[in-house]
Amino acid sequence: MELNICHLYPDILNLYGDRGNIITMKRRLESRGISVNVDECSIGQPLDVDKYDIFFIGGGQDFEQEVLLRDLASGKGKDICTAVEEEKVFLAICGGYQMLGQYYKTWDGVQLDFIGAINVHTIGAKERMIGNYMYRTTPESSGSIVVGFENHSGKTYLGEDVAPLGMMIKGYGNNGEDQTEGARYNNVFATYSHGSLLPKNPMLCDFILQTALDRRYGKTEPLVPLNDTLELNAHNYMEQRLSK
Amino acid sequence: MKLQTRLAVLVCKASGAVLRKLGRGGTNLPGKLALKIDKNILGELSRGVKVTVVTGTNGKTTTSRMIEQAFADAGLKYFSNKSGANLLTGIIAVFAQHSTLSGKCPYTHALIECDEAAFRKTSEYLPVECLVVNNIFRDQLDRYGEITHTLNAIREGITHVPNATLCLNADCSLTASLADSVPNKIVWFGVNVPIYKETAHELSDAPYCIHCKTEYEYDYITYGHLGGFRCPKCGYHRQTPQVAVTKVLATGADSSDIILDIFGHEHEVHVNLPGGYNIYNAAAEAAVAHVVGIDEQTAVSALSQFECGFGRAEQFKLGQAQARMMLVKNPAGFNQVINLIAHDEGNYKLAFLLNDRFADGTDISWIWDVDFEALADQQVRFTRVLVSGVRADDMALRLKYAGFAPERIEVIREYDRLLTEIGSDETPAFLMPTYTAMFDLRGEISKHTDVKAFYE
Repeated sequence: MELNICHLYPDILNLYGDRGNIITMKRRLESRGISVNVDECSIGQPLDVDKYDIFFIGGGQDFEQEVLLRDLASGKGKDICTAVEEEKVFLAICGGYQMLGQYYKTWDGVQLDFIGAINVHTIGAKERMIGNYMYRTTPESSGSIVVGFENHSGKTYLGEDVAPLGMMIKGYGNNGEDQTEGARYNNVFATYSHGSLLPKNPMLCDFILQTALDRRYGKTEPLVPLNDTLELNAHNYMEQRLSK
Repeated sequence: MKLQTRLAVLVCKASGAVLRKLGRGGTNLPGKLALKIDKNILGELSRGVKVTVVTGTNGKTTTSRMIEQAFADAGLKYFSNKSGANLLTGIIAVFAQHSTLSGKCPYTHALIECDEAAFRKTSEYLPVECLVVNNIFRDQLDRYGEITHTLNAIREGITHVPNATLCLNADCSLTASLADSVPNKIVWFGVNVPIYKETAHELSDAPYCIHCKTEYEYDYITYGHLGGFRCPKCGYHRQTPQVAVTKVLATGADSSDIILDIFGHEHEVHVNLPGGYNIYNAAAEAAVAHVVGIDEQTAVSALSQFECGFGRAEQFKLGQAQARMMLVKNPAGFNQVINLIAHDEGNYKLAFLLNDRFADGTDISWIWDVDFEALADQQVRFTRVLVSGVRADDMALRLKYAGFAPERIEVIREYDRLLTEIGSDETPAFLMPTYTAMFDLRGEISKHTDVKAFYE
């Protein structure tokens, strides 16, 4: 078996160590004898949607957003929407998560249209939501506890057809108001969690990988367990610290 | 001198003295109290003093120590904020400490390291003669926000000091943009050639043109986003530096040798600290010396003699082992340390100490942007791989995913045991702590050897 991963805009959307997610997916697949190809696709490069099983989008700075939106408008945004409808697996973090949504409205009312691959929208707030945080994913998304670090000023609201990835235990999550965190639609997994997300949340990582394998190969055997001692040490440390 | 100012100085001096007696580095509280009493105390105390300010993301402390050696060797009557108290309140305290009770500062020069975010405020009060901006990298995003915020804070600070000469890193496209539309005189410093044969795999913090957002092209890269950049669209490009490293003769674990061209005069320079980033710091020192009027020979010889300490390649004897402490704060700085270790061929013990307190940055995500893979490729050379600090488990996990054999990664939380393990045989060690871990570690080391407290 093999999976092809596409890292979208790795040179721009790379603000908070999000590439750790790529490293982790690759490593956990290879440990099970599944081969992995990771390609990068950035500004000006055409996106071959059919080729990939998993798309990864990280978070970035406002400075490069203009460049990014221009590139998405040139066709890549439509390609991404197609891939989402074809139930390709997406992992989107923070800015990448917001970008999949309908729009971003700044706190003083300026609206930026995003690609609308999922029915969520984001409203800018003056106060940043920042800190270590923790949520439990819904049963449809592995039902596991996720620990990470959130750092966003946008408040994201889920529309019709979109489920949360999880419910908050500690921290702000999507908007600090409705206890939801992240989004699920088809095989899109979206979250505010930096950290990186996947290294110390191996259950969620394996769930995402299994989803991608099942989509490509039909129902597959469950992934064999790995020695996750170090992963769980890091996870449990933060879980305990946030539970105090 | 206003009564208010005198009172502020008195309170500042007295509270500082008490705190030091208590064995605490009294760096912020005295300044805070003084500021409460006299809002303009810094302006009053610094009147008539020629102030050199060093700011930027990486290398402030080291560059300051280099400049300080040149100041001392040139016989200037100066003082500096040695202790790393580089926020407004700390800088006030240092000025108060070096003033008489009547509020007069008897020094002709001051050398001030200033936090890049604090510079905006600090520069309102200081008669800055020379401002050095080393570089701008992403750093502690939980605190500074985006990299452009840092840049803009410095830019705003510069508007307060139109008479200051700016020493700017020509190779940093962000720093260089500070020269745009300001009346200040500029001295550019930079490195004209690549420093390493291979550089760490690292992300650029500034891939797109600061002016028109087109991707830069590079003639060469020294590290990070530093090098011979130019924008193919709007033409924004690296300026030719008047103080330039034209050749890197040797890079070792303890020092570097370079050819430094200072306004057309070539000097062979021995830099008394290792690493490509310190080559930049050396060029910055020579630029400042030129501005302040220190002769080139003095500036150059200071570079071979200065000592930095304080976690900047600071050396300790721990048990049987020689250890070097390399403070690490952000991906760019850490990658430089990794480059240094990766280009050395000896056997070493490695110790990584990761904290997530406020001064370290509470978000440790950045370790995933550090190229530990470059070390994992050579792991046979590293006899021990030790991990400690508040977030030791995250560090251990990062090393595992970098390719270190998991069974070789040892998590040792207690610093005394960590130091004992490091000293247990003669293999030298690199200690890589984040900021607060460095303080804790130095504290622990001071129980065994003679280490100066940071406020001395």
